Amino acid sequence: MKFYKEVTTKNIWTLFCCLLLTFTFIIGCGDDGDDEPDPTDEAYDAATMLNDFANTVVLATYSDLDSKAGDLLAAVKALEVDTTQANLEKAQQAWIATRTPWEQSEAFLFGPVDTQGLDPALDSWPVDHVNLQSVLDSGDDLTVDYVAGLEDTQKGFHTIEFLLFREGDQRKADDITERELQYLVSTIMNLKDSTSQLRLAWAPEGENFSNTVASAGEERNAVYPSQSAGVQEMVNGMITIADEVANGKISDPYNEEDTTLVESQFSFNSITDFQENIRGIQNVYMGKFKSDGQGLNEFVSSKNTELDSRFQSEVQKAIDTIGAIPDPFRDSITGNRPAVQAAIDAVSKVQLTLEQDILLLVQGSEFN
Amino acid sequence: MKYFYTVLYLTVLVFIVIGCDSEQSTDILSYNSPIDSTGALSGGDTTIFDASSHAFSIPAPNLSAAALEKHLEGDVEFEAVFVTAPAVVNPGLGPIYNNITCINCHARDGRGRPPGVDEKFVSMLFRLSLPNTENEEAGKSPIPVPGYGTQLNNRAIYGTPAEGTVKIEYSEQPLTTADGTRVHLRYPDYTVTDTYQPLPEDIEVSPRVAPVVFGLGLLEAIPEKTILTYADEADVNGDGISGKPNYVWDVVQKRYALGRFGWKANQPTLLQQVASAYHDDMGVTTSLFPFENSTGQSQLKENRTALEVSDEILDVVTFYVQTLSVPARRNVDDPQVKHGEQLFAQAQCASCHIPTLRTGVLPGVPSVSNQTIHPYTDLLLHDMGPGLADNRPDFHASGSEWRTPPLWGIGLVRTVNGHTNFLHDGRARNLMEAILWHGGEAEKSRQAVLEMSKTERDALIAFLESL
Repeated sequence: MKFYKEVTTKNIWTLFCCLLLTFTFIIGCGDDGDDEPDPTDEAYDAATMLNDFANTVVLATYSDLDSKAGDLLAAVKALEVDTTQANLEKAQQAWIATRTPWEQSEAFLFGPVDTQGLDPALDSWPVDHVNLQSVLDSGDDLTVDYVAGLEDTQKGFHTIEFLLFREGDQRKADDITERELQYLVSTIMNLKDSTSQLRLAWAPEGENFSNTVASAGEERNAVYPSQSAGVQEMVNGMITIADEVANGKISDPYNEEDTTLVESQFSFNSITDFQENIRGIQNVYMGKFKSDGQGLNEFVSSKNTELDSRFQSEVQKAIDTIGAIPDPFRDSITGNRPAVQAAIDAVSKVQLTLEQDILLLVQGSEFN
Repeated sequence: MKYFYTVLYLTVLVFIVIGCDSEQSTDILSYNSPIDSTGALSGGDTTIFDASSHAFSIPAPNLSAAALEKHLEGDVEFEAVFVTAPAVVNPGLGPIYNNITCINCHARDGRGRPPGVDEKFVSMLFRLSLPNTENEEAGKSPIPVPGYGTQLNNRAIYGTPAEGTVKIEYSEQPLTTADGTRVHLRYPDYTVTDTYQPLPEDIEVSPRVAPVVFGLGLLEAIPEKTILTYADEADVNGDGISGKPNYVWDVVQKRYALGRFGWKANQPTLLQQVASAYHDDMGVTTSLFPFENSTGQSQLKENRTALEVSDEILDVVTFYVQTLSVPARRNVDDPQVKHGEQLFAQAQCASCHIPTLRTGVLPGVPSVSNQTIHPYTDLLLHDMGPGLADNRPDFHASGSEWRTPPLWGIGLVRTVNGHTNFLHDGRARNLMEAILWHGGEAEKSRQAVLEMSKTERDALIAFLESL
């Protein structure tokens, strides 16, 4: 995992703050006459926040993902029956719609999505073009079981994207072969199996991982023996995706000026992907997906209102700054470099605040 | 780096707070205490305070800016997914392999497991060899099986036959502790199946799950002479515990060297460990192993001359696994945990799972040098008895000898990897089962645990879960 990239001046600032705080302690420690308890020292009950994170955000996002994957399957089945340009465009739109909750869910890539191998199954990159073409050229029966047995690099979002879009939205329905259609249907059925598995892994009627997160700190919760561990999980998930967007997804192709490194390069959906990643952070922080719950913002503002409002605006600014990069991203990495650099800076700011302020606040706080 | 300041800050704070009112400090410090009187700082200055699923994946907090940059480059390569050549991005997979990226086996830099029912093999593989009948002298490298080499590659690129797969069957056998508690151990049976060509009948098969990859630079930095002080091959001190160094072939130095890594300590350095994983597990060539793992087999269609992973990438990936932080212990002051720690020592577990070691200097990696660490290993081989034996010798390791695995972070495996499968093939489904599989040199320790009361066994487990 690649985060904790430091900026030296920031660290000096952190050190300064630490020393300042220490000094405050020194002053505070001889002051026995002060009976007023500091509200920031009280243990924070994170039970509602953890419950809302697990259910209102994570499970709701996965439920939406599963539902959108169902729509995508229906759209591609319609395309198989009637391979028109209009049906192709509907299938492409359905892919983009499915991508939205997935990218948002990347702000919490832990638990079953990881331990059950679903992240690689859904979102492996790069596509193994040689193997994919070999399979399409073969006489193999392209059943869903057959596709399920193939490598992750021949299925999931990006293989589907490649078959539906090829290069930008230039794909012509007439160019799609019978074999490609069969492969599309089977690989999307396989994708749908994965999204259902993921939803059930969190759902109360399934393995109920939601409850594992929601009950952090309760007795016999061996995964999260403390609320603190559960809250750390939330923050670390946000840090990971902020880092991934700033220092990987945007920076790698930008620094190398290499379009082959661009995520979602076939659909020209990169900018939306990046925005959805940051919206995922927003969802976790505010405790919302389609409905509102208690987010991390309530905890942060109970300790430091300035930090809360600053972070909220940093997140929104990151979303807006990414959105200001002219489409397609692959052209902007060479043609609009200041806009791309501004997006990197905005997301890096989000990452730094998470690492150096919010995580520190979580680690320095007592929870129930 | 931030953590460095956290620790620095807390250290300063502790001195101040202790100086004025120790009671005031308790709620702030909890397990974040930087004072290591309780052994909480498992990785010395590389220790991280994180009990989430990220606990194994965080760069050491004491890296310099340049070292962190290198670590992060290595992180990207550790996650690189290989595909069939020719390709624009990451070509060179296979043609036969076990997985397509490092991170799939070492998920979250953590521990692998055997597949569940109807699952494919992801983080478990099988080593193969022919019996070494020609030379009774130990210290010979495993003899490759013609057509298979020394590892069963169960996957292949399209149009190429994989070598085969393995069927796992478990049978349950009960065990009763002194206080009448029944425990079930599951005995695995492995059958190589679906082979692409006949396999000799007398082959040796050894199952392996992927081990955790954090803290490895610290283990590499332990001076050889420190490790050898724990060796007692002939059991001169008569405690029933030998402790034997493995000496294995170092392909860079072109000589035998102390083995430190792998379930049988069959790799001398992390560089070689990483290069052999690229080669054996993914079919990806490097300067250390420039010939495909399918060399001499029908699967190899063309011998690519270009190395599939450069020395530069090999270097940053090696550095990555050298410089991951070690998670701090939790609940070190809990009375039950402290009781368990005493029981761990009383049962002689700590004779092999050495709690505290001091690292020396690892050239080029100052962050892991000169650290006091709590790995709970001696890096030596021990006879674990017939129950755990794979019956596949590996250099000086006999068919029943295994390297003492480090125990640091073991209490976080459930959080990080979502399972509690332990031992070399993940047969143990929890820590108690893992303990009860110990035999051979550890038989007395196992008996001691069987004699414990439930309260004591719970304390022992609570201690292990605090690691």
